[in-house]
Amino acid sequence: MCRAPKRRGAASSASLPLTGLSMLRSRRLTIEVRQRVPTWLRALIVLGALIVGLAICVGLLLGRGVELGSIYDEFVVFTFFQAAGISTVIVQSTPLVLVGLSAALAFRVNYWNIGIEGQFFMGVVGATLISIFDVGPESIRLVLMLAMALLFGGAWALPSAVLKIRLNVSEVITTLLFSYIAYYFVLNQVYGPWKDPKDKFPHSPQFDASEQLPLIGWQQVHYGIVVAGAAVVFVWWLVERSRFGIQSRFVGSSPRMALPIGLPVALITAASAVLSGSMAGAAGFVMATATEFRLTPAMAAGYGFSGIVIAFLAGNRPVATLIVAFLMGGLYVAGESMKVFYNLPDALVGLIQAIIVLSVTASEFFVRYRLRMAHYRGA
Amino acid sequence: MDFITFWLASMPLFSVPLVVAALGLILNERAGVLNLGCEGIMLCSALAAAAAYIEFGNSTALGLIIAIIAGAVVGFGFGFFVVVLRTNQVVTGITVVFLGSGLTGLIGVPWTNVALGGLQPIRIPGLTDVPIIGRFLFGQDPVVYITILLVAAVWYFLYRTRRGLELRAVGENPQAADADGVNVEGYRLLSATVGGAFIGLAGGYLALGSAKIFVFDMTQGRGWIAVALVIFARWMPWRALAGGLLFGGIEAIIPRIKALGLPIPQYFLEMAPYAVTLFVLIYAALRLRAGQDAPKALGMPYVRQDRR
Repeated sequence: MCRAPKRRGAASSASLPLTGLSMLRSRRLTIEVRQRVPTWLRALIVLGALIVGLAICVGLLLGRGVELGSIYDEFVVFTFFQAAGISTVIVQSTPLVLVGLSAALAFRVNYWNIGIEGQFFMGVVGATLISIFDVGPESIRLVLMLAMALLFGGAWALPSAVLKIRLNVSEVITTLLFSYIAYYFVLNQVYGPWKDPKDKFPHSPQFDASEQLPLIGWQQVHYGIVVAGAAVVFVWWLVERSRFGIQSRFVGSSPRMALPIGLPVALITAASAVLSGSMAGAAGFVMATATEFRLTPAMAAGYGFSGIVIAFLAGNRPVATLIVAFLMGGLYVAGESMKVFYNLPDALVGLIQAIIVLSVTASEFFVRYRLRMAHYRGA
Repeated sequence: MDFITFWLASMPLFSVPLVVAALGLILNERAGVLNLGCEGIMLCSALAAAAAYIEFGNSTALGLIIAIIAGAVVGFGFGFFVVVLRTNQVVTGITVVFLGSGLTGLIGVPWTNVALGGLQPIRIPGLTDVPIIGRFLFGQDPVVYITILLVAAVWYFLYRTRRGLELRAVGENPQAADADGVNVEGYRLLSATVGGAFIGLAGGYLALGSAKIFVFDMTQGRGWIAVALVIFARWMPWRALAGGLLFGGIEAIIPRIKALGLPIPQYFLEMAPYAVTLFVLIYAALRLRAGQDAPKALGMPYVRQDRR
C-alpha cells in the first residue's frame, strides 16, 4: 500500500508547480518524480519521519506534565528490556498481530475493511455462544470456540464484500456501519440475556477453566501466541507462496487489468474480505479466552484502528506485521501505565498512532518526489 | 398528537449536523477529495465550540465561529496532506478521525461534561403555536434556517457559477481541467478548507445546538453517516437536505419511542440509525446503481506527470 509506484517512463524534466508558491515568478519550488529511490534513502526518510512523529508525541506528553525520564522508563526500559515488561508486551501484541493481519489481508486487494472491531466482536460472540451453551466435550472446547470465532468474524465481513462486489456500495462505510450494529448487539446481550448474574457489571458470565487459554509457562504469556504465530505463517504462505497470493497482488496493484486478463476478481476480493474478518474474529477469540475471559463491551476498543495502523506501517507484509505489532504492543503497555500514573485519557494510544501514521504517510511524498528550486528565464 | 409535534420539533436538532456536514463533504468530493476524516473534524470543532462558548462569556455566535475556524484549519491540514503531499486519501481520512478523537480527549478535559446554554429556539407569536407543524417550522434556532440558506448557496455555487463548474471539472476530469488552465491543486486545497469549515459548523452545532454539552467521542458515527448521506444524495445539495431530514427524523424518533415506554429493547433502538443508513445505502444502490453519479476522479490524487 505504501510502496512508491514505479514511474520509470515519466520524463524527468516534467515538473509541476507547488500550489501557493507559484507566485514567485522567476524562481519557484517545483516537485519532481524521483527516477530511482535507493533503499538507504527510503529508509532514511521514513526513519526521519518516525523521529519527527515521535518527537511530536513526546512534546504532547511533556505538555501534559509527564516527565521525560518517566517516558523513557515506560516506553523503552520497562517495555523492551525487562522480562516482566517484555512478557506483558508479548501478551498485548498477540491480538494486535491478528488485527494487523486482518487489515493487511483486506488492504492488499484495495478492500478497505474499517469494520475490524465489529468482526472482532462477532468472533467473541461466536466463542461466547459455545461457552454459554456448553457445546461439545471440554477437551476440545477451545478449538470449537476458535472455530466459531473464525466463522462468525468471517461471516460478519461477508455482507459488506457482497455489497461491494455486486452493487458497488463503498465498503468503507458498510463495514463501519456493521461495526456499530455489532457493538449495539453486544450491548444488548451483556445488559440483557447474557448478563452475568453474579455481579452488576455489563458482561457475560466468566468462561470455565476449560474455556481459557492456558499459559505457556513463562511469565504471563499464553497460548494465544501459538494462534497468532500460526496465523502469521498461514498468511505468509498465502500471500508469498500460493496462487491466491499472486492473483490477489495483481488485483491489488492493477484492478483495471485484473478482470480483462481473466482473474476471478470478485472471488479474490470476497475471499480476502472474509479471511480478514476471520483474523479479526481470531483476535477477539484471543482477547476473550486469554485476557477478559468473557464478552465485555469495551474489549474491542481501538483494535480496529490499531490493525489499520499496523498493516499500513508493515506495508501489508505478514512478517513485518509481526514486528510492527510487537512495537505497537509496547506502545499499548507503556500507554496503559501512563494513563494510570498521569490520568491521561484512553484515546492517548490512538492519538500517538495517528501522529505516527501521518508523519510516515507524509514521508512517502519525499520518497516519491524531490523538491527543487527551478529557475525560469523571463517566465 | 404530542408524539408527532415533539418528534417534528426535535427533528432539525438531529438533521442540521448531518446536512451541514454533508454539504461540506459534497464540496470536498465534487472537487475529487474523499474526506473520510469528517468524524474527526466534527469532534475537533465540537470541542472548539464548547471551549470558546465557556471561555468567551457564553457567546453562541463566537462558539460557532471558532468551530468553523477549527474545522477549516483541520480541513486545510487534511487537504495539505492529500492534495500537496498526495497521501492515500482513505488512510489519511481514517487517521484524522482518530487524531480528532485522541486530541479532543487529551486537551478537552476542562470543557468536557459542562452543560452549555447553547442555541435557543426563536418564537414567533401565533405561528409557533400552530398545532403540529408550528414548532417544527417556526420554533427552531437560527442555525436551522441558516442551514437552508447554505444548501441553496452550495447548490447555486456548484450549478450556477463558473467557479462551481470549474470545481466540478476538477473532480470529474482533473487532466482536462488542468489543460484548460484550471488550478487543480488550488481548487482541491480550497475545497478541503471550505468543506472543513462546513463540517466545523456541523460539529459546533452538535455541541451548542443538539446536545448543549461536549462529551468525549460525542459524534457517535454521525460523521460517517454524513459520508453515507452524500452517497445517498448523489452529491446533490437539495437531496442532502431531504436525506438529512430522513436520517435526522429516525434519530429524533428514538427518544420519543423511549418516552412512550414501548417494549422495544433499548440497544436495538440505538442501533437503528446505523441499520437504517445501511438499508438506505443498499436501496439507493439497487435503484440507482451506486456510484454512477460519483465524481469520476473521487479519491484519486492528481499528478501532472501521470497525464495520459
